[in-house]
Amino acid sequence: MTTARIAVTQGAPPASDPFAHLSELGGEGTLLALAPLIALGLGVLTLLVASVTPALARARRGIVLATLAIAWLVSTRIHFVEPGDVLDGSFRADGTSALWNLIFVGSAALAWLFGEASDRSRTQSLATHRWEHDVLVLSSCAGMVLMAGSRDLILFFVGLELLSIPLYALCAFRRERSTSLESGLKYFLLGSFAAAVFLYGSALLYAGTGSLSLDELAELLRDPESTAGLPMIRWGLGLMTSALLFKVSVVPFHFWAPDVYSGSPRSVTALMATGTKAAAFAFLFTFAALLPSEGAWVLASVGLATIVVGNLGALVQRDLPRMLAYSSVAHAGILLLGVAAGVRGGPEALAEATDAGLFFLAAYLFTAAGAFGVASMLEDPDRGTLSLASLRGLAHRRPWVAGTLTLFLISLGGIPLTGGFLGKYLVFSAVYRAGFVIPAALGALLSVIALGYYLRVITAMFMEEPSANPSQLPPGDSVGEAPALVGLALCAAGVLVLGVLPGWALALLG
Amino acid sequence: MGLLLWITFLPLLGAGVILCLPRERAEWEGRIALGVSLLVAGLGLGLFFFGFDAGSAAFQHRVSVPWLRLPGASEAVHFSLGVDGLTLLLVTLTTFLMPIVLYSSTGHIRKRVRAFLVWMLVMETGMLGVFLATDLFLFYCFWEVSLIPLYFILGIWGGERRLYATIKFFLYTVAGSLLMLIAAIALVQATGTTDLALLAERAPTLAPGHQLWIFAGFAIAFAIKVPILPFHTWLADAHTEAPTSGSVVLAGVLLKLGTYGLLRFCIGLFPDAALEAAPVFLVLGGVGIVYGALLALAQSDLKRLVACSSVSHLGFVVLGLFALVPTGIEGSLLQMVNHGISTGLLFLLVGMVYERRHTRALDQFGGLASSMPVFAIAFVIAMLSSAGVPGLNGFAGEYLILLGTFEAAPWAAALGVSGVVLGAVYLLMATRRMLFGPIVHDANRGLPDLAPKEVLTLAPLLLLVVVIGVAPSLFVRPSRATVAAIDARLEAARARRGVAESAPSMEPGLDPAGSDEAEGAR
Repeated sequence: MTTARIAVTQGAPPASDPFAHLSELGGEGTLLALAPLIALGLGVLTLLVASVTPALARARRGIVLATLAIAWLVSTRIHFVEPGDVLDGSFRADGTSALWNLIFVGSAALAWLFGEASDRSRTQSLATHRWEHDVLVLSSCAGMVLMAGSRDLILFFVGLELLSIPLYALCAFRRERSTSLESGLKYFLLGSFAAAVFLYGSALLYAGTGSLSLDELAELLRDPESTAGLPMIRWGLGLMTSALLFKVSVVPFHFWAPDVYSGSPRSVTALMATGTKAAAFAFLFTFAALLPSEGAWVLASVGLATIVVGNLGALVQRDLPRMLAYSSVAHAGILLLGVAAGVRGGPEALAEATDAGLFFLAAYLFTAAGAFGVASMLEDPDRGTLSLASLRGLAHRRPWVAGTLTLFLISLGGIPLTGGFLGKYLVFSAVYRAGFVIPAALGALLSVIALGYYLRVITAMFMEEPSANPSQLPPGDSVGEAPALVGLALCAAGVLVLGVLPGWALALLG
Repeated sequence: MGLLLWITFLPLLGAGVILCLPRERAEWEGRIALGVSLLVAGLGLGLFFFGFDAGSAAFQHRVSVPWLRLPGASEAVHFSLGVDGLTLLLVTLTTFLMPIVLYSSTGHIRKRVRAFLVWMLVMETGMLGVFLATDLFLFYCFWEVSLIPLYFILGIWGGERRLYATIKFFLYTVAGSLLMLIAAIALVQATGTTDLALLAERAPTLAPGHQLWIFAGFAIAFAIKVPILPFHTWLADAHTEAPTSGSVVLAGVLLKLGTYGLLRFCIGLFPDAALEAAPVFLVLGGVGIVYGALLALAQSDLKRLVACSSVSHLGFVVLGLFALVPTGIEGSLLQMVNHGISTGLLFLLVGMVYERRHTRALDQFGGLASSMPVFAIAFVIAMLSSAGVPGLNGFAGEYLILLGTFEAAPWAAALGVSGVVLGAVYLLMATRRMLFGPIVHDANRGLPDLAPKEVLTLAPLLLLVVVIGVAPSLFVRPSRATVAAIDARLEAARARRGVAESAPSMEPGLDPAGSDEAEGAR
């Protein structure tokens, strides 16, 4: 129990050896475990310094890429070295958390690439405030890393805020557009509310158990003799779960997602749909160990309801970004079924569900980032909308873009030989194996609705004639689009590799 | 050794080459596509005549490479292909039909020819993959992926209401596939393997109640694809809107994926459940025969008539399969090929007449025999083959099926026979309204007869109609050993049922929820 408090009251080590923590901080394992955070933090500082140093005015792209590359490399190393628990057990860097880090860094990198390409008109604030934009992207990436690795509620909360506060600013980044401001304000208000709920829940939990460490809490709550049955603890867990469900945008906490997703700059949407969601699920899979197994049915019902609401919501949309936002809600529902399976089946099922969730989100990273990336290339630069009508006949004008979007859509729909299929297979298999036969079958069957609206987009692109007014789509700008095309190629390659040759990725999961 | 890899992936390779052709070389697209499909057809025929050991029930020419590991499976998923008695005929049929379809399309597909050829070749790879896959997971991948080319072919080159038909077809099939996916997860969880040969050993040992649930998941997916009665509504729309080549492939091969799946998975893996469910399928098959025939009788559009006759003919296949005796199953396998040939022929002929008149309404024709004699000859042969006249291919299959069905369920055979009669009625009526009588419409008077190219398209199929009709045993023999192996499993299941019925205390738990719960808890 002391370990938890030390992490809380940073800088107040036991009196006996005031420097014990400093020596531990210098240990190689600790350094490696924190290396992704250190790399991202240093990148942020370098960017801030370079932005006011005329000599480094051209170094922005280099600094961002180098930061992300270093964070990627050290995360890979963590996967194989597995430094384990550091900082008195409040932060864990093992094989799984390293894989989560790879998803976060990949998400930030793809979002950054699409953001780079979206400065078509020079007056946009996205074009004139690039340095600030990049600082915010890297900070929120650091927040994700902190969230996924934390084994302590306070450290998690710090990560959550480090992720969220830059995101609030990023959502409102295109301040000349009212929808962007609305999106930022909405996300800020609801997000702070959710953060407060989470804090209140953890306070109740702390009051009931006297601990903030996830491992200790899991042990305490599993012990039938303990205070696990107290209403206070139940309420605490319930409030914290609700706050997490808000972050992953599932029913009934999903209403913000379509507005925020479609109002934000598209690159930020890509970051939120992939990175933020992955970070929240990474913690949710850890947090699930605390939940009582009776909660599994609640989570599974919420998951199924989310799939229904997300898919039906997407079915009536006429705007591609909003449709993708609803589809992202539906995907969160599928993953929540996986979490429910972990809650129901105990530690082994939870480990399997976590692996399935990792693969699912890795595939979703490439798929959703790619789809939002295509939207960022084609959408109306002033209003940020991309109607299905304007996509008509895209296959004639830009066959490769139409082709990659098709690939992303069929991966979202779960057709084999794409990463999206195997992700769904693994999640549904975990759900089935945890004994949830009916939820698995229902969840799979509901994907039919999803294919209905994905097909409508493909149909519009390939089978319908272009609308009368061809100026509805901005013409391709080959120079400015280059980073986005790189991003699209990476996404398409990722979707195909995870679908056709998933052996090595599954081997990484162990 | 690599023969099956070549057969399966040569079309895909050809599609890749066509995609890479520079725009100025567009005239090579068709030649490459045709050349590749002819090469594959050659390999397919070589496999049929020289490369297959009819005495063996095992998978032959097997290629197997470890692919990935799934949770719950003790063995890795393999990328494995193999051919056995069930698939040899279907593979040969597929490779045989493709060059004909591609050759026939050169005239009437005029827009976006390159994309059309690429999708056709990708579809060939997909269909061959479904037949040749000897791993459940790989089978599922090919099964789903083969939907996409047809989706594009229907949606881009189809008729007036093509978008409606396309989406209906896709969503129907995918709904079935997702049920199959859950059943596959359950099967992998229960047996620990995805290899079809190992599954054939392990799946029949599952408790009958458990089998029945997994069987149902697979059966609904395949029933939608076939289509068996309540699920048949997508077929008429898809056929009517598809371009001729799409219809030929759809009727010739894609529907056979469903009947093949019923045989390979539902009957081959779950004999106890198949025995349990056989009456349901016999009823659905028998009713489908009569209902499809009545539907065909009511059509005024020639293409819809042929499409509805497909429902009727596939009812025969289902009847033969679920008679669950070797004669019936062999007859069904032969009838799958027969249906592919005769319906393919009919669709090609409908396409040819549509090219000339731009209508398919039966009352717009009459007296074509005098203006288009060669067409009339081909049409009559195709109709007679479809009606099952002795000496042509349809007879052998239907006879074997009725023989087998009579053995198992005489009442179902009676339904089948009435279907034969009704079949003769609507086919002969259509023939009369098309070909004979006076020429009422002036437009029919000066119609040009079949061009040499069109005759060349039809000739191989017409030849095959006669060859199968005269020497059916040549085509039944290769499947005999594999069918016998399936029959042995069915016999074992019958014996188990007999024991269970005579000793009520040993009755297997039929409560499906209970066994699923137990399975999940493990």
